[in-house]
Amino acid sequence: MADHNDPNAVNHIFSDIDYSPADLYDLFGWPINGGDKVVFALTFASAPAAGVLDPDLLYRLLLTSHPRVAWPEKAERNIESVLRYFDAVRDKYLGELKTAEIRVTVLSPKRVLIKFLGFPCGEFSKEMDVDTNTSIQTPDGHTISAFVGGRDDAFFNDLTGFFRSINYAPQFYHVPHTMTEARELPIPKTLLELEGNDLFNCREDMPKWGYTQLDGTTPKLDLPPGPWAWKGNSFKKDANGNFRFVYDGRDCRAQQNCNAIVLEIPHAFISPNVRENRLVNGWGESWVRKAAHKVESIPDEPSWTQHPWKAVREKELDDELRKYKLVDTDGQPFADAALSEREDDRQMGANNFWLGPHFIKRLAHLGWGFGPSISALGLKTSFDHDNSPVSVHKTYDSAAAAFPRIAKTLFQQLNMPDSSWNPKGLPIPLRRAFEVFVPNVCAVDMDTTGSWPFGRRLEDQVATRFLALFLDMDAEWNGKKYHIDLLSDQTLWDSAPIFPKTPPNPLKNDKEFLSAFPYLAEPWPETW
Amino acid sequence: MIMTAAVIEGFEEELARAEQEIAKLQSRLQQAPADLQSRVRLAYRMNHRASLTGRMADLEETQAAVTSAIQEFGPKEDLCLLQANLDAHLHRIANARNDLAMAPCLAGRFEARTLLADLDFQEGRYDEARLTLEELIHENRTWDNLARLAHWESRLGDPEKADELYMQAEDELTAKQMRSYAWLELERGLLDFRIGRFADARTHYTRADESYPGYWHTDEHVAELLGAENQFDTAAALLLEVIERTHKPELQQALAEIYILTGRSDEAEPWLDKALASYLDSVKRGGVHYLHHLADFFTDVRPNPAEALAWARKDYALRSNFSTQAALARALHLNGKIAEAVATIEAALSSGIKDAMIYSCAAEIFASAGRAVESRTYADAALQLNPRHGSFHIHH
Repeated sequence: MADHNDPNAVNHIFSDIDYSPADLYDLFGWPINGGDKVVFALTFASAPAAGVLDPDLLYRLLLTSHPRVAWPEKAERNIESVLRYFDAVRDKYLGELKTAEIRVTVLSPKRVLIKFLGFPCGEFSKEMDVDTNTSIQTPDGHTISAFVGGRDDAFFNDLTGFFRSINYAPQFYHVPHTMTEARELPIPKTLLELEGNDLFNCREDMPKWGYTQLDGTTPKLDLPPGPWAWKGNSFKKDANGNFRFVYDGRDCRAQQNCNAIVLEIPHAFISPNVRENRLVNGWGESWVRKAAHKVESIPDEPSWTQHPWKAVREKELDDELRKYKLVDTDGQPFADAALSEREDDRQMGANNFWLGPHFIKRLAHLGWGFGPSISALGLKTSFDHDNSPVSVHKTYDSAAAAFPRIAKTLFQQLNMPDSSWNPKGLPIPLRRAFEVFVPNVCAVDMDTTGSWPFGRRLEDQVATRFLALFLDMDAEWNGKKYHIDLLSDQTLWDSAPIFPKTPPNPLKNDKEFLSAFPYLAEPWPETW
Repeated sequence: MIMTAAVIEGFEEELARAEQEIAKLQSRLQQAPADLQSRVRLAYRMNHRASLTGRMADLEETQAAVTSAIQEFGPKEDLCLLQANLDAHLHRIANARNDLAMAPCLAGRFEARTLLADLDFQEGRYDEARLTLEELIHENRTWDNLARLAHWESRLGDPEKADELYMQAEDELTAKQMRSYAWLELERGLLDFRIGRFADARTHYTRADESYPGYWHTDEHVAELLGAENQFDTAAALLLEVIERTHKPELQQALAEIYILTGRSDEAEPWLDKALASYLDSVKRGGVHYLHHLADFFTDVRPNPAEALAWARKDYALRSNFSTQAALARALHLNGKIAEAVATIEAALSSGIKDAMIYSCAAEIFASAGRAVESRTYADAALQLNPRHGSFHIHH
């Protein structure tokens, strides 16, 4: 789950909400041509169909380019320093950074208008057909490759396993929209099944339970009456002494499509100073036309802005955007689903600074679930769970209380599996969790391969890499330091006391990616 | 920017989609009748269809489906909430409260608190209703609660503020909610209609039609406006079309009233018979939705003092608000029970209602009671609020 099914307003997991083309799925970004160009791919629900766009939608890809910033190695590692970092990022994004934008409006289900706004060469636009690779000549002599249309969904993930790990009831139970307290049930989150957890443990008699079928339905059960609790004190083990994994590694997005906006852009088109500005940050947004502007004869009406995030955004809205309503944002995988909890009013894109304290609390909450699971498998965790033998359900009211538990998770450098991510061998610092998620952008380092978290390549198994945040990157496995792909290593699972012996998520997509633009695979035939 | 790309889908397209969804769910349920999720979805889709068509038969079918699902699966929150909304729509206030109490915790939910505010308004607890709506909007600024607060303002507060709130509600809607947008435009038009600004009302009704073509509810409002402008033939023709689509007895009555106004009493009678038969049939089947219409019918259209009073008392007993109080006061007045009529209209006026029709009714009652000063005051107030309040109007 990168950003599927969120925010709640377009979360079709609820029985009364349909698939929405405003539901952004993922944002991929990586450099090519040795860092001369960057590719961004924004994917979203293929409604009404793959290769058929909704004329009421507007999509934005926002871009900035700036120098790489390294966290001082000797800087203090405390809550104040993290909060200062969030403040500094806010000042940067609301102040000095100039954001350029690629805006796609839908002229008809098969034709779009793509506009380039705020780039050094000035503004221009081009109409193009859907499902067609198009070359766009820029006023300053560059060529941009563009594709808008239907593709195979590039996300490969055991979505149901992830939902099981966080006790996300609407995937498994009929949960009325009114029952907001029954979304993530208040029992420990976990990577290993809990003894006596009748709410979420796998049921052999219901192999399809919680798995979305190709016809769009998901077999679910009737939600038992609350209070929902778990009264056990251990992880579940089978007769052989093996734990039961909540994941089984299947690809829940197999044979499913998306619509996508894919762009291959020269770095020099984005920034006049590519030598210094080695980072290209991107984030996507979906907007739906306001009712008042569906019919041209209906005049504009003022917009009332009660929400703080709206106040920030109103400043940047132009005449066209004022006719639309922001629905979803996408930058980092898991920023929404795992950290922002899909709340409609937390769809802020890069401007997610005020979520910083919430991010600390939420990460600590997840840590109490995943940390003990990791320890039980004999691995070292970055989360301080006081050697708890089993996952714990714990929430925090204050970031200060949560911080000591999560300090290492936040500050540790995320080791990469090998040096291939840094082909030029440059002194590029490894990233840390707090830098990855705030701001909520896909930050492509143009001197790397763009493998997550230095961007996001199509082949990156980001769901498993997200779990690796909770690994202790100082520890070693088979004589090698833990790294972000460790949990995708089959030999680890072969030797672990667990069933099934599989990495949590599939290692590759169900369809081969293309070696050339637009990179995402052709869509599947659609029958529903 | 050329906007023609945004195809405007209207009533027929939405109804066709709702029918398709219903058929699909019914087919799925034939394979898996115990699928709670599909049953709930079907009930909501049926309610969607009923709200589109406005047909009582569709509402009753929906209610039967919800009742059956509750019996089979127990009092699930979403089913009880739907049941409560249906009961509230049909003026079964006590039932609606009971529905909300069936599922533990439901009454405290956002959606249920919204409905409770509606029920408070229906039962004359205006301050409580307003307070709840303000709290809900503070928690989550939804278009429908802004519209509810606008309605409160339109009846008991400041019409200009009401219009502003309706505009705010419109600003929350996207192109995927054009029926709701059209409905808000109709409410804004009605706001103008009630104060005699017919041209402004027409502007809103035109916008409603442009934004959601083919909506009978728009035609109903346009017909009322045409009638108020004395364009009776056009109004009657339009009403006939709406009646064919919806079979709504209150519109049959409205058509008859137009015929009476134009001296075509012979043509009016069959429509009055039909309307009355539908009202009484509903009552016979336990319905209370048409009590208010029956009271009006026997007060204004086919005056029958005893019947008017009986129906008005029944409605008032179920929900005491300025509307039922005014209807009761008129029935009491018709029966010569002047003192009781005065007390009742005073109760209605004490709500703070701003309505030219009610002021006009108060003027008549005070005149009969020999309270000339108050009579003149309310007659003037009626004229001031709506100089055209004597025009044709539909009993909504």
